[in-house]
Amino acid sequence: MPTIDIRLSDLESLLGAELPKEVDKLNEVLSFIKAGATPAGTGAGSIEDLRIELRDGNRPDLWSVEGMAVSLRGFLGIRRASRCRIAGSSGTTVSVDPRLKDIRPFICCSVVKGVKLTDNVIRGLMQLQEKLDETYGRRRRRTSIGLYDFDLVRPPLTYGVSRPDEFSFVPLGFSEKMTLGEILERHPKGVEYGHLIKHHPVWPILHDSRRNVLSLPPIINSNDLGRITEDTKNVLVEVTGTSGETVSNTLNIVTLSLAERRGSVYSVRVKYPYGGRRNVVTPILKPGRIKVSLSETSSLLGLPLSRRKVAELLERAGFRVLGAGRGSITVEVPFYRIDVMHPVDVMEDVAIAYGVNSMAPRWPSLVTIGALDPREKSKDLVRELMVGFGFQEVLTYVLTNKEDLFSKMNLGAQDVVEIANPRIATYNCLRSWLLPSLMAFLGQNTHVSYPQKIFEVGYCVVPDGREENGSRDVLKLACASIGPNAGFTEMKSVLHSLLLNLSRPYGLEETGHPSFIDGRCGRVIVGGEDVGVLGEINPTVLEAFGLSEPAAAFELELCEKLIGLG
Amino acid sequence: MAENAKKILLALGAAGGRRSVRDIAAATGLDIAAVTRGSLSLSERGLVAIEARRRPVARLTPEGESYARDGLPERRLLADLAKAGGRIRARDVPSVTSVQGSMVPVALGWLRKKNWARIRKEGGDSILEVERSPPAEGPDEELIRFLGERKSAYVDELGALSGALEVLAKRNLATVTEEAERDLVLTDSGRNALSGGIVLEEGVSSLTHNMLATGAWRKAKLRRYDIQASVAPTWPGKKQPYLRFLDDLKERLVGLGFKEMRGPIVELAFYNCDALYMPQDHPAREIHDVYYVKEPRAGEIGMPDVLDRVRRTHENGWRTGSKGWRYAYSLSEAKRLLLRSHTTAVSARMLLSERLEIPGKYYSIARCFRPDVVDRTHLTEFNQVEGIILGEGLSLQDLLGVLATFAVEIAGATKLRFVPDYFPFTEPSIELNAYKEGYGWVEFGGSGIFRPELTKPLGIDVPVLAWGLGADRLYMMKAKIDDIRALFTQDLDYLRGKELV
Repeated sequence: MPTIDIRLSDLESLLGAELPKEVDKLNEVLSFIKAGATPAGTGAGSIEDLRIELRDGNRPDLWSVEGMAVSLRGFLGIRRASRCRIAGSSGTTVSVDPRLKDIRPFICCSVVKGVKLTDNVIRGLMQLQEKLDETYGRRRRRTSIGLYDFDLVRPPLTYGVSRPDEFSFVPLGFSEKMTLGEILERHPKGVEYGHLIKHHPVWPILHDSRRNVLSLPPIINSNDLGRITEDTKNVLVEVTGTSGETVSNTLNIVTLSLAERRGSVYSVRVKYPYGGRRNVVTPILKPGRIKVSLSETSSLLGLPLSRRKVAELLERAGFRVLGAGRGSITVEVPFYRIDVMHPVDVMEDVAIAYGVNSMAPRWPSLVTIGALDPREKSKDLVRELMVGFGFQEVLTYVLTNKEDLFSKMNLGAQDVVEIANPRIATYNCLRSWLLPSLMAFLGQNTHVSYPQKIFEVGYCVVPDGREENGSRDVLKLACASIGPNAGFTEMKSVLHSLLLNLSRPYGLEETGHPSFIDGRCGRVIVGGEDVGVLGEINPTVLEAFGLSEPAAAFELELCEKLIGLG
Repeated sequence: MAENAKKILLALGAAGGRRSVRDIAAATGLDIAAVTRGSLSLSERGLVAIEARRRPVARLTPEGESYARDGLPERRLLADLAKAGGRIRARDVPSVTSVQGSMVPVALGWLRKKNWARIRKEGGDSILEVERSPPAEGPDEELIRFLGERKSAYVDELGALSGALEVLAKRNLATVTEEAERDLVLTDSGRNALSGGIVLEEGVSSLTHNMLATGAWRKAKLRRYDIQASVAPTWPGKKQPYLRFLDDLKERLVGLGFKEMRGPIVELAFYNCDALYMPQDHPAREIHDVYYVKEPRAGEIGMPDVLDRVRRTHENGWRTGSKGWRYAYSLSEAKRLLLRSHTTAVSARMLLSERLEIPGKYYSIARCFRPDVVDRTHLTEFNQVEGIILGEGLSLQDLLGVLATFAVEIAGATKLRFVPDYFPFTEPSIELNAYKEGYGWVEFGGSGIFRPELTKPLGIDVPVLAWGLGADRLYMMKAKIDDIRALFTQDLDYLRGKELV
């Protein structure tokens, strides 16, 4: 979830209302828009500088202080609609090159004139741009934003293509001209986002009628035209991307913020050589409408609400009531509420406007019978027995590595489920058996007094092509005893008692297993099925785990044959 | 205490508290193996500590051993010369002695060095003269005899003979090697046990089967113990404390009418994400947030009709009343295999299960995986506790009631409050904050009502309340730990001694 830094006084002046100066109380207000504040300033007790956590990942319109103000007003009973409506045409057009169709097909722009930009406002805009590019824009793949000083640009604009060596310009933050190819190699943003266009022979370019470059979307703006300062009065906003709807939504959100800074919004005409509509005038600040059923709202909230009450709550939540039908209310969905895709999205805001802490919590009166999963039940029985034998239960990770699973256990590599994107090398596959985890545990405890007796009951994962998920979870028990007197006899005695108590007659067949000492190892057979292995640990294995005491262990698959479900 | 152990303890006490295993063996008359076994049992009880150290040991070389039997060559030569009259020409020496020819010059050299013979020039001949009475045994001879009898000896026990060792070593008749030696050291508990009195002969320190069977106990006087003497700890077999906490949680949930549900660790993206109405390009599905399986990359989705409904819901809302996410749904993305990243995947599978009952309450405690770097606050593998409640007419107020019950029953909260929250698969979504003495307001769980875009394609037509509990945090507060890694602790000492919560 995004966080942004704001000033409380700025939010107050945008709202036109005072807010509580105590964090807990302030957060009660902010909870209307699913936001939470923590003081970010240095002064003790000061809450002027705030870090705001915006929990709603689907509400990018809230990722600026201006957007927060727009949505909070209704909840605070401040009747002032957003200033964001189109004042006229900027007379600017953007011509789109047909070759962009398969590269980055969509662009839309707005011009916001007469904006009051301060250092603080510019920082807020940069934050908004960054969060939108990163999250909603999917790291600039889906959308990316550019802001320009409109007075430095000479329309009409061209959204065209360029070979890497064709155009050159001074990228933001640099002082020398670079070709597009050089930008991708040397500019930090070129390095970070270059992969989005590199594979194309020609790259997107936005330039004006003098062929002065505005930007290389989605990489970087021009340092000459694309730098907003406190002296900038008129701002050109441009968004390019791969999804027409997302590009338009992004432009609307940035335009909304600028309009709240006393800007007037002017439109731009985009001329496409492809797609259904050849001429598109942007921004498209068109509200939606949605029909909200009264009975569904009441039953979702669990409150009998009158039509009047619902209408009042809807208005508080920022939805203008357009009309009422039989058992329903139709509301206008503000253009910036891109999260609304189903009436439940509006109903939630009704609940928030009502106040979730004003509701009456009740335990649902459903008659159900609780039960453990049968497999978990058998697991608990086995754990209880192992504890009774004096073994300490341990808990280890399912994630491990082949070195521990096989090499250290004196085994050749076997098939396991491996991770495509491990974060660290020691956690790069899933364990197929438990004993290595126990050996690693013992290896961590060589300074602790012996004898040591430990066990774990846990899931292992084995590849299985017959399953729809390509693998099978296998519940296993492993236990180990280590110390001067640890040995085969002791562990066989534990195994014997365990299986006796599970009423499972078993056989032990001598077997060769490289993890164990030859001649001191057997396979455990229950109901004609191989369910595990018992033996004294091979000194090679002890050495590999840094152990210098003898050890013995067994591992059993807690399969149906062994724990018999039902 | 076994008889041997008592003997060892007494011998150790008599020797001042520290003695080598070898010495104790000599002092008790037990063999080395018996002393080793006895001292291990004493050390397990904390009465004796066993300390290993390295100690130089002297041994004869094969040549040295033969001289230990036959005498040094110079001694033998001297005897032969005396027998031959005590006066002899140097060139006649080999003919009168049993000393091997090649060794004669060496023996002659030592005769002169030890001053056992004089050499005079008479004409062209060298004449040797020796005393008739043999000179006394030198330290080198004493040592070679001693080592011959003992086979080996600690250098630090040689005393005055250690100078001779150097001589023998130089002559390559003896070698010195370092060997591990174990010392037994009486601990404080050991001293206490001794001062409590250990009686060997009477045999009445412990009651035996025999005494009871024969009635001999009536005449026996059972010795008093020093009940203050410290003892070695006994470690219990115990459940892992965090798992024990989760067991307790399960018990409470079952008590509240929840049935346990399960799902696989390796999951299809379809169940982990798509079926939960998470769009396929959602940031939480990127490689930074989900572990993907290397091979095979994809699995199979067994329910074609469900797949089709989910696809259409993503693309255009299908019949859910939603606009949908409006993008081209990819089947290969849906089939990708990953490690379950949240327990909601288990809930999705339950909603599709033939065993689903309506009304129903279900919970799962399941291992989940995310590519985080492990630190004080993050694990890359963790347990989530989550559940669903489904039934006709359930509402937000019911959801709040469930959360309130959990806060009181499970978290023991004194105050609680609800905060509107966001989850991709629920609407409305509510977070539960519980007030815990000493901690203040704590985020305790997240919850919501599943979106129609989730339930309808899975064939569910009743409201589904979904909740998740911050069980890890609750346990950490209970167990008073502030490092999440302690949940999977690898510290046996900690597990043995950790109080149960």
